[in-house]
Amino acid sequence: MSILRPLEIIIAHGPELAAAGLDPHEFALAVGGFPKTRILLLDPALPEEEQQDRLRRFLGKGHRRPVVIASTDPESRAAATLRILRRTFQCNPERLSVVDLQPALEQRDKKSRRLKGLELIRLAAAHVTRAFPIHPEEVPVSTRVLVWGDSFAALKAAQELAASGYPVTLAGPKPELHPLDPEVPHLPVSAGLAALVGEVLSTDNIRVLTEVSLLAVEGAAGNFTVRLELAREVLEETAGAVILAPELEIDSHHQAFGLPAHPRLISLTEVERLLEKGEPTSFAPEEGGTVALLAGFSPESSPPGLRRVLAAAAQLLKQANLQVYLFLGQARVAAPGLEAALEAAQENGLIVFKLPDMPEIAPADGGTGLTVSFVEPVLRRPVKLSVEAAGLEEIYCAAAANAALAKVLEIPLNPRGFLQGDNVHLTPVATWRRGIYSAGPGRGVMGLDQALMDVEAAVAEVQKLLGQGAAHVPQGRAVVDRGLCVLCLTCYRVCPHRAITYDNRARIEEIACQGCGTCASECPQEAIQIRNYTDDQVTALFESFDPQLSPRIVAFLCRNSAWEAYQAALKLKHADIPPGLTAIKMPCAGKIDVDYLLRAVVYGSKAVMVLACHPDNCKSRHGNEFARWRVEQVQTYLAEVGLDPQRVLFKSLAANAPQDFLDAVAEMEARLGAMSGAPPKAAVR
Amino acid sequence: MNSPKHPVVILGGGIAGISAALELAKLGHEAALIEKSPFFGGHAAHFCCKATDKCQKCGACLVDQRLRELFQAPDIALYPHTELTHAERGNGHFRLAFKSKPDIIDPTRCIDCGICYDECPSIDKGAVLVAASATQHPRYFIDPEGCLLSHECLLQGCQRMCPAKAIDLTREDSAFELEASAVIVATGYQPADPASRPHYGYGRLLQVITGRELEEKLRLGEDLTRPDGQPARRLGFIQCVGSRDRLHPYCSRVCCAYGLRLAKLIRHHHPEVEAVTFYMDIQSIGADPAGFQAEACQAVHLVRAMPGGLQASPEGSLIARYLDESTDQPVSREFDLVVLAVGISPGKDNPDLAEMLDLTLTPEGFFQSLDGEHRTGTTQPGVFLAGTAEGPRSIAECISQAAAAAREVHEYIKALV
Repeated sequence: MSILRPLEIIIAHGPELAAAGLDPHEFALAVGGFPKTRILLLDPALPEEEQQDRLRRFLGKGHRRPVVIASTDPESRAAATLRILRRTFQCNPERLSVVDLQPALEQRDKKSRRLKGLELIRLAAAHVTRAFPIHPEEVPVSTRVLVWGDSFAALKAAQELAASGYPVTLAGPKPELHPLDPEVPHLPVSAGLAALVGEVLSTDNIRVLTEVSLLAVEGAAGNFTVRLELAREVLEETAGAVILAPELEIDSHHQAFGLPAHPRLISLTEVERLLEKGEPTSFAPEEGGTVALLAGFSPESSPPGLRRVLAAAAQLLKQANLQVYLFLGQARVAAPGLEAALEAAQENGLIVFKLPDMPEIAPADGGTGLTVSFVEPVLRRPVKLSVEAAGLEEIYCAAAANAALAKVLEIPLNPRGFLQGDNVHLTPVATWRRGIYSAGPGRGVMGLDQALMDVEAAVAEVQKLLGQGAAHVPQGRAVVDRGLCVLCLTCYRVCPHRAITYDNRARIEEIACQGCGTCASECPQEAIQIRNYTDDQVTALFESFDPQLSPRIVAFLCRNSAWEAYQAALKLKHADIPPGLTAIKMPCAGKIDVDYLLRAVVYGSKAVMVLACHPDNCKSRHGNEFARWRVEQVQTYLAEVGLDPQRVLFKSLAANAPQDFLDAVAEMEARLGAMSGAPPKAAVR
Repeated sequence: MNSPKHPVVILGGGIAGISAALELAKLGHEAALIEKSPFFGGHAAHFCCKATDKCQKCGACLVDQRLRELFQAPDIALYPHTELTHAERGNGHFRLAFKSKPDIIDPTRCIDCGICYDECPSIDKGAVLVAASATQHPRYFIDPEGCLLSHECLLQGCQRMCPAKAIDLTREDSAFELEASAVIVATGYQPADPASRPHYGYGRLLQVITGRELEEKLRLGEDLTRPDGQPARRLGFIQCVGSRDRLHPYCSRVCCAYGLRLAKLIRHHHPEVEAVTFYMDIQSIGADPAGFQAEACQAVHLVRAMPGGLQASPEGSLIARYLDESTDQPVSREFDLVVLAVGISPGKDNPDLAEMLDLTLTPEGFFQSLDGEHRTGTTQPGVFLAGTAEGPRSIAECISQAAAAAREVHEYIKALV
């Protein structure tokens, strides 16, 4: 029997059930026919006190049973009732199943509406009566934070953390702290920032370590074991969290354009050095001479680079009374005030040529200077311009050491060598490994303003994680059966969050586990179960299907995308969802087992749908890829036993694309229509 | 009138305001989220998924999940269709006065059936508004301003027909006050006015639409057609509309990204469609700008020129004239639809709000942050900024800035106690 133990069912309804032709009393009587069940009809529009009163009488003191609450659009319509259940009656979220009756009201005739409504509640009951509560527990954590790098972002993070009471180890590979503002790397920074180095060095709570290499970060958030190699020793310490902010590297990309090596063709850094020394005349010896600056020709050109070029141009114009030409490829002006600065520079005498490609630069015949050849963009004719010297914009890259760092930290590197992906589900500073954050220059090329905002966001993440030395960690979301585990380490390899460690068996690091279930589905020993998505529970759902509703289609939906799209689709007026479609919410597509797909067919499904996030959008990194592979695998199995592999469909979609959900359902129905094979066997057993 | 205390009041219920509220809740603060329009989610709720064969990282899919989280968060008080009318401070606390449009539709009774919308004779005046996100409840809002006849409406169809008896047209505006220790201004932006480039004929030429309108069409799964019903096979995208001109002397920072993503998306689903993007400069997009640009070049024909004007052809298409960069000759090209990538303009209430809260605005009209090192701070202690109220930024950047603002507020309140 699918309902395992006694439970309470609440039907929260207003006039909509009756309006849709589903008499609530008659429906309640039918639900009351379920075994081990008590039932309450409640109007969610009643005043809260009244509802509370009725619920108290219904549930009784110290109630222990799981609860199913059914309503149309329950999270909004029955919001008050849910609030009372969660707050006043302390219903554990895992033991409170919220059922949306909307799919029942979508049905065309009265009988289907009733059957669908009953099935929805039966499925929820089957699931919730097998559920275990998950309680968050306070776990002691280390409040020490390792800040890696010597950028302003790193220093600022150290300062902010120390001010909030977190002891900090600030470590990096360089011999001394020499942070850089990407927009003014060789000029004095603001007073506040200039004081930062001194402040960090004099704060008691910050230990500064230089010339360090990071050997290992083991374990999980809250209690990482960090090993640092110093000049004479290896230091091992415990850190609750890690913030990565290694400084950007500056690249004079001469070679990329095949430019000639020439003493007068110099990088912007050299231009700035000369300006700093007050020797622009050594740059262009003749008063009133001409200088070319080149920017925006590389795909890596960035707004901070352009800002530097404009600053240098302004100084050249002002200090030395030079004529300055700016040869500009793409004007990367996507930063505050930069477009206005470019306009202002032109008003102040900077002459700008916008070109599609890098102009040709050659040593001047018989002179010390250079010639710049290009097609003048307004008059459209070739021009040769003699300049005394030329300065080339520089581009910013990720620290070269990031690759090695990523390896040690076991986090992926992004395509440009930064320590963070750009998965939209992660907060911008989070990495895949919980407790490790990447801020400012650690995650991309950005101005200091954005980098310092990143620092605030990363420090906030640390505060939320470590609190005052205790983290709230849900216990037992994933459980390893130590009797079954053979330490094959499949789970260790597939876990996207690095939440699995091992002693003589695999172990789940609860604080890092996000409950995606990729490990559970991949485990060849079936030794890992995700609590409340156990194989038992999923099978119980299949057992609760009503064979009268057809065509039977089981849709496994990732809760981060497809489930949202399904919820939104239910509210579209033209939604046409077949009566036999059962949507099963999964914590991630990575938890959709081969076994579930096959079993769905065995239990009489004509079709099985697996709907996951788009590639590169999975909150668990590659759960969607696992799901796609498994669908392909199941399709070959079906073909082997003579069933049409088209019965299993994989599609990726986004949370805000309900139409894509409906299109996928329509495609499945079309496939079913086209199929000429024998109908599937009736349920086994 | 008694004024309930909320330590933090957040003005603006778009992605920045929502994120700030959720962050504050996680840091242990109670927040009140004030939204001028009837619905939360802001502009981002209207955007479509732009995934081609893989996610394009626009972040639009986050809105629904964040809204769901918001509606379930116990410590966030929500005030939709509410506006700030007055602000004063004393003893370090803010006293803020608000006015709210009435809940003509009772949220506890409404079943989101949409009959009020169907029955309303004054839809074109905006009497009944529909939320973009299905997570919103009620999904409909009866706006007394658009409802010309209001409670004298002879038909009162909505009220009579409502099967849930949720509508009461006699409900009236209300005013209330809140006390707060800190305020976050997250009032967002308004899309730049496409009519600021009159030669593109927006509003006059029906084949000219804005990027936002295209997003809405794609989100709702509508077919791309010309106004005369013919399928749209040739699409032109014009970048920098309402950015980088005399009226808007700044880069809106998001339009290259969304314009090219939309063009790529359409080409992915309809490889037979031509897409041409007219631009001045391509900005760096995403975590791998070089990779993104290379992919965009493959899918979209990039033309570095701004069309001088658009004209309707007798066949129902549009003719764009521009100077071809390689030949330097004027070229005419036909399009079935032209999409204007409109930029981010400062909110039109910014001056009033700045006056009420004693804040200054940038020359462009955005809220002035303290300095380049404090983009979330203002000259007023206790007032913080998040999102596009402070300047143009993407969804991810708004989320990041909101998190930063939430932490600033957290530290500010800690120092008060």
